[in-house]
This record gives sequence, structure tokens and C-alpha cells, in this order.
Amino acid sequence: MKFIALVVKNLLRSTRRAVLTVLSIAVSLFIFSALMSLPTVANRVLADTASSVRIACRTKMGLAYPLPEAYKRKIAAIPHVVAIEPDNFFGGIYHEVSDQFPNIAVDPEQIDVMWPDWGFSPGGVEGFKRLRTACLVADGTMKRFHLNVGQQIQLRGGGYYPFNVSLTIVGTVAHGPAPSFLMFRRDYLEEIEGRPGRVDNFWVRADSSAAVPQIIVAANSQFANSSAETQCDSEAVFLGSVIGRFRMFFVLARVLGLIVVLTIGLVAANAAAMSIRERRKEIAVMRSIGFRAPLILRLLVAESVITALAGWLLGSGAAFGLLKIFSVTSDVLGPFVGAVQIPPTVVLETILAAVGIGLMSSYIPARAAARREIVDALRMVD
Amino acid sequence: MTGKNDAVLLEHVTRTYLRDDFEVRALDDVTLRIPEHCFVAIMGPSGSGKTTMLNLITGIDRPSSGRVSVGGEEITGMNEDKLASWRARHIGLVFQFYNLIPVLTAFENVELPLLLTELNKADRKTHVEAALKAVGLAERMHHYPRQLSGGQEQRVAIARAIVTDPTIVVADEPTGDLDAKSAEEILTLLSELNQRFQKTIVMVTHDARAERFVEATYRLDKGVFVGADNSLVAGGTK
Repeated sequence: MKFIALVVKNLLRSTRRAVLTVLSIAVSLFIFSALMSLPTVANRVLADTASSVRIACRTKMGLAYPLPEAYKRKIAAIPHVVAIEPDNFFGGIYHEVSDQFPNIAVDPEQIDVMWPDWGFSPGGVEGFKRLRTACLVADGTMKRFHLNVGQQIQLRGGGYYPFNVSLTIVGTVAHGPAPSFLMFRRDYLEEIEGRPGRVDNFWVRADSSAAVPQIIVAANSQFANSSAETQCDSEAVFLGSVIGRFRMFFVLARVLGLIVVLTIGLVAANAAAMSIRERRKEIAVMRSIGFRAPLILRLLVAESVITALAGWLLGSGAAFGLLKIFSVTSDVLGPFVGAVQIPPTVVLETILAAVGIGLMSSYIPARAAARREIVDALRMVD
Repeated sequence: MTGKNDAVLLEHVTRTYLRDDFEVRALDDVTLRIPEHCFVAIMGPSGSGKTTMLNLITGIDRPSSGRVSVGGEEITGMNEDKLASWRARHIGLVFQFYNLIPVLTAFENVELPLLLTELNKADRKTHVEAALKAVGLAERMHHYPRQLSGGQEQRVAIARAIVTDPTIVVADEPTGDLDAKSAEEILTLLSELNQRFQKTIVMVTHDARAERFVEATYRLDKGVFVGADNSLVAGGTK
């Protein structure tokens, strides 16, 4: 600890260079944090949302194609099925295009059985079952648009559903699939649409996780060779397949993150080498008064590590703050938006990256300076 | 071979360098002893090996052959780490160009060698203040080197050299970068330190004024010890 003052004073001998080095490391670690967070965010969505007893059924042809509503009774009849919920993704807009958030239509009868983990507000489920135009709104959406229970709102349709729906908020959802989210009744949607009997997905709840494979096989077999064959998967597999489409992007993000850190590591190495080169005389003097080479090496490396950690604090702090702001003010990322924050593993990775930058950038020039013959160093500069 | 009262003993010391393809003999079989508590000067023309001898005495250079003992301890066989620790305990170094750390205050520069000791902060402060007082700079301890004159910088360097109470203070052209008045002051200060604290001081200098202040002058020429002007001083070339 008694050397800290010496290290800090040396760090600040060229304030401009120190600030620029810290900023360059901060920017790189900011980018690194953001890029490295993406895959973890996706995995977190999966881990947070997936239930071991829920199954998602869609058509084999893909998410864009619907299933007949008539499948509901057939799937419900499969042994071990305790609830089934059809859903339609409405995709309505509240006020402006930028005000989008996921909104789906579901049948009212079994939402509490299907999603007991979503934290519906007291009276919300009852109100949802009672009122045809009822909707349940996620806490994040309520906060974002300053909505209140009992308030009437309108969602503008478009594309597949070219009509508006007028809804009454009857309750809130604390832990839905996304912090910004809305669900309303499918029978209301069907009524406006003219009862086409189309369903985007069926959510199925099994009585136990052990029964899930059996239900999946039974459902898929039942509709094999029909005009709308099903592909049923556990919720985790279903969400994983959705996220899996971005896997290459995630790999690319990680590679880019590493490249950014490596590049800044080289910039920091240049700065450290310049700083050490300018002080060869002082280093020789310190050694001549008794500082051992390993101590000099540690002091020089400590300067770089402190610089890098200051950059980490700034860069990661900025990333944390900006992502926090982004996550509560934007719904561009749809259901992923709530998970957009820096996970602890990424915090650890960025600390390691910062320490790595500090060590790698200074070790070689510091070692060379600490080991140079004192006489040569003194003669060279005098 | 080390005499009980020898601060420095050089025995058949030779130091050669390779410069390009040529061997340069900076010191050639020098044997000399410097008694304890003396203030001595090593003089000679440029290239005579004065600084090389000083470097050998402080252990920042090694002889090609021969033995160097300081304070009764042979340093020739010590490894780098041991030499560094030894220097921290036994050597106080004063350079021609002061060589203070520019980002540290006078106080912090003087405190630097004490960071290598076990002293706590309060004790370090006491030692630093005493050293700065001894060189007459107690009032300037919070000034940076750029805020001091050349003479004052050299005083800080001397305070840094004596703060650990070393066995021997070694000064390489301490007046070489100073005007006549400052040079006189520095020589007076070194002489006072020698008399008040019984410090052995070995000074390399070109400055003829130095002869008035020292007890003995060793003369080198072309790497050879050509004699001393004081009969107390023994030694010579082979």
C-alpha cells in the first residue's frame, strides 16, 4: 500500500495521455460488455421463461402458418394434459409505431392454470374471464405509458389483423415473458375477425415434467399426415429454437468483442511502452537506490492495470447505465428487452479483459526496463 | 584482505567493455582502500575511469576481474536482488543531474528509499524531515523539483542519499551542473555531513575546488590508479 501514492503520481504524470488511455479502454470495454451480453441475455430469457411442464405446439411449416382451432379439444384429450391455451400474436400498436410491445390474444378459461408463474394481480384473472374486452398488462408497460387498472386503451392493428381493438385493463402481469407485454381475449379477436378459427400456437401444460415427452409424441402423431402437421416442443426447446436463429450473430458478437479488446490492448501497449521508455532514467535511478527489478516491474504493471480498471469502471458503468435506460424506454427488442442488462458473467469477463489489457500492455516493456543494466540506462540518458 | 577500518576496498579490479569490436579497459588492475568516515575525492581527466570506479563501489556495475568490498562486505559475488537490497541499506547516491523524480515533491523524493524499509509512515516522515532539515530545505519539502533551483535540487538529492543513514555516500560530479556559488554550498554541505555525522563520502569530481574540502584525493588516469595525495590512503596500481 505504501507504493500506491508513487503509482498514482506516475500514472498522472501525463494527464492527457492517462485520460485518453482510460477512455479508449472504456470505449472498448463498453462495446465488449454490450456484445458479450447478447448471448447471455438470450440464454437468460430461456432460463427465466421456460417451464418444465409447458409445451408449445406450432405447425411444422413454421411460425408464420396457423393451426386449426379444432386441435384444441383433441390435444386437451391427450392423457396428462391439464390445460391448453391457444394464442394469436396480434402485433398491435399503441399510439405510435415506436410504442410497440408484444400483445397476444388467448382464451380466458385457463390462463391461471397455464401461467401460474406470471404473477397476475389479485382480481385480474377473474376480471379477464368476466369481461370480453378485458386485457392484462405487464407492470413495465403500465409504468411506461402511465396506465391504470380500469383504463380503456386502443391497439391499432395492421398487416395480418387490419383492425383496431378497444380494451379495458383489468389487471397486471408481474413476471410475464417480457416486462412490456399485453394479453387480451381471443374470443374478442375472433369475433372481430369473423371467427376464422385460426391459432398461431397452442400452449399445453402437462401434469408433470415426466409426461412432457409422452404428450409431445402423442400430439405430433395425432396430426401427422394432416394438412397442418404439428411440431410440439417443450417450452425451453421452443424458445431455444427461436433464439437459435440468432446463434451466428451471437458468435459474431463475441468474436467482434474480442477483436475490439485485442485492438485496444495494442493501443494501450503502445501508450505503456511510450510511458516506460520516457522513464528509463528514473527507473535506473530507482534501481540504483535499492529498488529491486521485480518490484519495479510490479509498480509499472500496476500502473497499467489501474488504468485498465479505471477504463473498465467507466466503460462497464456506461454500458450498465445505458442498457438500463434502454431496457425501460425501448421495446425494439420485443420480448428480449427486459433481459437486456449486463449479466454477472459478463461483468467478470470484462474485469478479466481489463486486467488482461493492463498486464499484456505493460509486461514486456516494463520487464525490459526493469532488467536493463543500470549503468547503460544512466549512460544512455545522461 | 578487508581492513577493519576500510569503507571501501578494491583489489586488483579491472573493468573492460566491448565497444563495437574494440575492448575498452576502463579500469586496469586497480587496488585501493578508502578509510571509514573520510570525505574523499576521485579525480582525473575524462575517460580515466572515475565513474566506472564509482559504479563498481555502488554495485551498479561489476568488475571484469578483482574484488570490491564495501563496509567490510564483499559485493562482487552478490546477485542483482541481493545487490539492490544491499544498496538500499548501505549506499546513498548523488548524481550530477540530481535525478529527482519530477512528479514527486521534495518530501516524496527523499522518502523514496525509505519505502524499501519497514518504517511506518510516521517514522518515515520523521526521517525525511530530519534529512531535509540537515540539508537546509525544511521549508521547501512540498515543492516539486521544477520549483527548486539546481542547488536546491542537489540538496534534495543529498537528503535522499542520507535519509537511510547509509554506510557510504557516493557522489558522481555533484557540482558538475551547478554555478560556482551553488557548487561551493554543496561541497560545504557534504563536508558538514562528513564532520557532523561521520559519513564516509566518496565523490567523483572535476571540480578543483573540491580539493579544499576533502581529506584525500585519489587520482586516476587512463584507468590506472596513479596515486593519492594523502599518506593515510594506501593502495596503488600493481
